[in-house]
Amino acid sequence: MNSLYMPKDSFIHNLDPRTKMIFVAFVVLSSFILNDPALQLLFLASLFPLVVAAKLVKPYLISMQFLLLFAVLIMTVHGIYNPIGVTPVFEIFGGLTFKYESMVYASVMSFRILVIGTAAVLFVMSTHPSDMASALVKWKVPHSFAFILLSTFQIIPIIAREAKIVMEAQQARCLDVKGSLIQRVKNLIPIFAPLFIITFMKVHQLSYVLECRAFSREGTKTSLRDTKIGSKDYAFLLGIVVFLTFEIYLQIFLSGSFNLTTNGLLTYSLIGTWAVFALMIAKFVIKRVQGFVGGMADA
Amino acid sequence: MEPYISVMNVSHVYSNGVTAIKDVNLDIYDNEVVAILGSNGSGKTTLVKHFNGLLKPTKGKITIGGLSTKKERISKLSSLVGYVFQNPNHQTFLPKVSQELEYGCKNLNMSEEEIEERVNKAIELFELEDYLDENPFDLNSSQRKEVAMASIMAISPQVIVLDEPTTGQDHKGCERILHLVRMFRQHGHIVVLITHDMNLIGELNCRTVVMHQSEKVADDQADVVFADKGIMELAGLQPPQITSLTNKLPFLNNNKTYLTVESVLQSIKCNHKEEVKIATRT
Repeated sequence: MNSLYMPKDSFIHNLDPRTKMIFVAFVVLSSFILNDPALQLLFLASLFPLVVAAKLVKPYLISMQFLLLFAVLIMTVHGIYNPIGVTPVFEIFGGLTFKYESMVYASVMSFRILVIGTAAVLFVMSTHPSDMASALVKWKVPHSFAFILLSTFQIIPIIAREAKIVMEAQQARCLDVKGSLIQRVKNLIPIFAPLFIITFMKVHQLSYVLECRAFSREGTKTSLRDTKIGSKDYAFLLGIVVFLTFEIYLQIFLSGSFNLTTNGLLTYSLIGTWAVFALMIAKFVIKRVQGFVGGMADA
Repeated sequence: MEPYISVMNVSHVYSNGVTAIKDVNLDIYDNEVVAILGSNGSGKTTLVKHFNGLLKPTKGKITIGGLSTKKERISKLSSLVGYVFQNPNHQTFLPKVSQELEYGCKNLNMSEEEIEERVNKAIELFELEDYLDENPFDLNSSQRKEVAMASIMAISPQVIVLDEPTTGQDHKGCERILHLVRMFRQHGHIVVLITHDMNLIGELNCRTVVMHQSEKVADDQADVVFADKGIMELAGLQPPQITSLTNKLPFLNNNKTYLTVESVLQSIKCNHKEEVKIATRT
């Protein structure tokens, strides 16, 4: 199966896709209810055990790297330049000042991305796309719509593979893909034009293949992969409800009476993201240098 | 004589840990036609992708015309080794056949006159005069394949690699490709073929390299390889039908492997003449 799904035997994998979809909706909702960096950070930390339970720590961290790029960008640029800030927190070289209000705003925003990203990654990696489609059909989602969703999951890796072949095919026609920035922008045409045509051809073919197997027949269909909501799912949903009630209680009755967000927390989380980002860059550079040195040694 | 392509002890391990080729040694000389055979996933495509630098060896070294593929850019190597992909749709994208032919030369920043000269040569070779203003996507699949081949030949590389050229082609298309391969050789090019089409190899009777489970297991003239039952069975290959048939006909079997119908007919005629001679003597 061409998708991000990682087959593992775990508690999260065995949950019904519908439960997991409710879970994702719950996380999105919570990330908006918890309008405070400290609480969001706690929430993010409390999601991590689920990732461990799903045995997806490594792939999760790899996919989080990309979201972290956004977080670094938002926290740095907003922290300095967002006009809502008034109270200075600290200054870096060149007289750029991070301000409290803008840092809170930026942290909430970037933690929200990480929190929602965590739930989404957890869902996508632990749910077989066909299971998701059959679960949606059980929710009375039209079959064709469920299929559209399913095929989107599947076509992305196919397009990625085709893109690689097209790129190689154009390189075989002396296209230099490692040129200047302008050259690279120009290169998009010879790569994307065949890719679009091939994708359309594939989709067209797919529609014929589906019709050959009576896709548009009226009435109900049986599914090869059946999903059932069991006691585990009810327990999980109960947990979600309890958590949600607690969050609402926290926000409505206790908001303002305690404040976990401090200058220190904001500064350390900012520096923390910078540090992780710096590590990522260092890792990338070391890999490049190793490859270069290895190439030299072989030659 | 110096080999033009020299593969020295090359292994390639993909980033997911799969070993695609293992300790392959191969020398290809000027004016050779080399067919690479093997079942799916035996490493044929991985091997030839090393020739124009699309893949770099993880162990060993490859030189093309004296240049190491590790150091050179793919665009430079592609001007020496032309690679025609299996599906022409991956290569063609311009609205006119003539533009398609010029594209590779333009990437190499050639002068107008040189581009014109090379493109005209390709047009002549492939007899594309009538299609120059057509859109490649309006042509049928064998014509489109020829346009893709012509657009590579316009760069005039020393080596031309054809990845499964006869797959999905009708009989006429296959004949045409056979003709073109012979033409390439006449014009002094090296031709590397990846194919499952045994009849094509039978017709060419060219040098044949057999890949099996990432390793090179045979490298000889086609009739010698086809006669080696052990290798054929190991690599899961089936010789052309005429070869299988003649191997089982006792009256023909003078330790020769027949690859084409013509060669069998020739042999029968000779036998017949000899019999007639013997008969007339007695």
